[in-house]
Amino acid sequence: MGSRRLIYLIMIVAVAAPILFGISQRPSRLVSAERMYDVIENVKVQPGEVAMVWLDFGPNTIAENEPQAMVMIEHLFRRRIPVILLSQYQQAERFLSRVPQTVARQLEAEMPGQTWRYGEAWINVGYKPGAAIFMQSLVNASNVSGFLGRDVNGMPISQYPTFASIGGIERVKVVGEVTGLVGVFDTIIQFFQKKGYRPTIVHGCTSITIPEAYIFLDSGQLNGLLEGIAGAAWYSEVLKNAHPSSDNSRLLVTNTALSAAHLVIIGLIIVGNLVPLFSRWRARHG
Amino acid sequence: MDNGTMWELSSTLVGGIATLAIFSFLIRENGFYRFFEHLFIGIAAGLGPMLVIRDFLWPNILEPMLGYSMRMYPDGTPVKPYQPFYLLYLVPMAFGSLYYCIYSKRHAWLAKVVIGFTLGVSGALAIRGFFSEAIPQVASSFKPLVVFQNGVFSLFESLNNSLFVVTLLLVLNYFLFTFGRPGAVQGKIAPLGRPLLMVCFGAFFGSTVMARLALLVERVQFIVRDWVAAVGTLVGLG
Repeated sequence: MGSRRLIYLIMIVAVAAPILFGISQRPSRLVSAERMYDVIENVKVQPGEVAMVWLDFGPNTIAENEPQAMVMIEHLFRRRIPVILLSQYQQAERFLSRVPQTVARQLEAEMPGQTWRYGEAWINVGYKPGAAIFMQSLVNASNVSGFLGRDVNGMPISQYPTFASIGGIERVKVVGEVTGLVGVFDTIIQFFQKKGYRPTIVHGCTSITIPEAYIFLDSGQLNGLLEGIAGAAWYSEVLKNAHPSSDNSRLLVTNTALSAAHLVIIGLIIVGNLVPLFSRWRARHG
Repeated sequence: MDNGTMWELSSTLVGGIATLAIFSFLIRENGFYRFFEHLFIGIAAGLGPMLVIRDFLWPNILEPMLGYSMRMYPDGTPVKPYQPFYLLYLVPMAFGSLYYCIYSKRHAWLAKVVIGFTLGVSGALAIRGFFSEAIPQVASSFKPLVVFQNGVFSLFESLNNSLFVVTLLLVLNYFLFTFGRPGAVQGKIAPLGRPLLMVCFGAFFGSTVMARLALLVERVQFIVRDWVAAVGTLVGLG
């Protein structure tokens, strides 16, 4: 077995062990995730006002973006803030339906008697092409419900009482963007505002785009951030503190497996540097 | 087993086989991997046009233009008469279709008109987008070097801001290629920007590794938990 394949094997074993044995560690505290929690927890939403969540990710970043979308939507659902789900990315199609359905099922299992139904808690208006042009038109629309027209099932949005008369974007109180695609989040920052109004913007990013997202956080253009799996794991922990019956065990195992992989890489870097040093020392001293 | 469960089970099984096929590349290049790679590219390429037609062209353009979105009374008379203004959509559609003239040597100039229009719109949006994105960032980079919080001097915030400002100035100076001499102060401190850039690249690389490992963790989790359970259900063990 070549050394390359041995490294792959070690890595897969290191990752699989916490998953197989259900080992989980408490995630590290992340201030930006806590900021996001506070923002969503404290946002004031009147009847007729909504949150708009863009799920702009596909299978290529599902590992980080789906847990982020889950915790973000879970918190919005717990607060009973109606959510409009949509996407600028074609491959997000499946997640637009799967994520809210899964969260609704979990919450209904956790709180028997309470329901989160499609058309009341959320609607899915699907993939929206046009990026900046679409965003510009959305922002200028006097009636967001009319502009969006129909949901992904072909039903007019006016048929859903919660979402029938939203009005202008001033009624969109929270904008969530979950993506790992470069440039997609920028479209929200650049265009989702109009004179005198800028909604609360929160973002779930992949690890690769963390350095870019920090710039927006530092400048105040972004109100809260989930950094990769670690951000989602800490957010779920904060949610669990507030709602002890919620179950975040799977996410904590994922986060622990990721930490195990990091430890293996650090170990391999150290070994990879020590072995040549030791060989040189042995050659010199016999 | 109902249809929904059957669908979930089949998609999990196929997903697991596809994942193992892609991972087989780690051993060596093989036909199994190639097949699933092409399958994924084909699906991704086919999905785009289908969604544009289903979610945009049909409900927003074609359906109202053809009168299919008109609501009818039970006796078949329309609630509102057909709006002929929808036919105006044909004008931008015809204009956009000129893009295909690029395939004709004789009429390729018509495509340039569409490309020019598109460039104009994109340019205008980029300028507007740049200012609304960059100006707040430029403004936020003007940080005070001495910070007082609630009237009390904050050493941590002051050091933080100072580090930010020094890094910003050194890196900006590193990219000044138009003036300054090697012997001048600007030229002497220019190399100091390089190690700071290297720190930044290291952070980028570290976060890239983390993202790739996250993908591995998710796939291993899918195989170990979901796929194995689905296989168990299929063979009657679940």
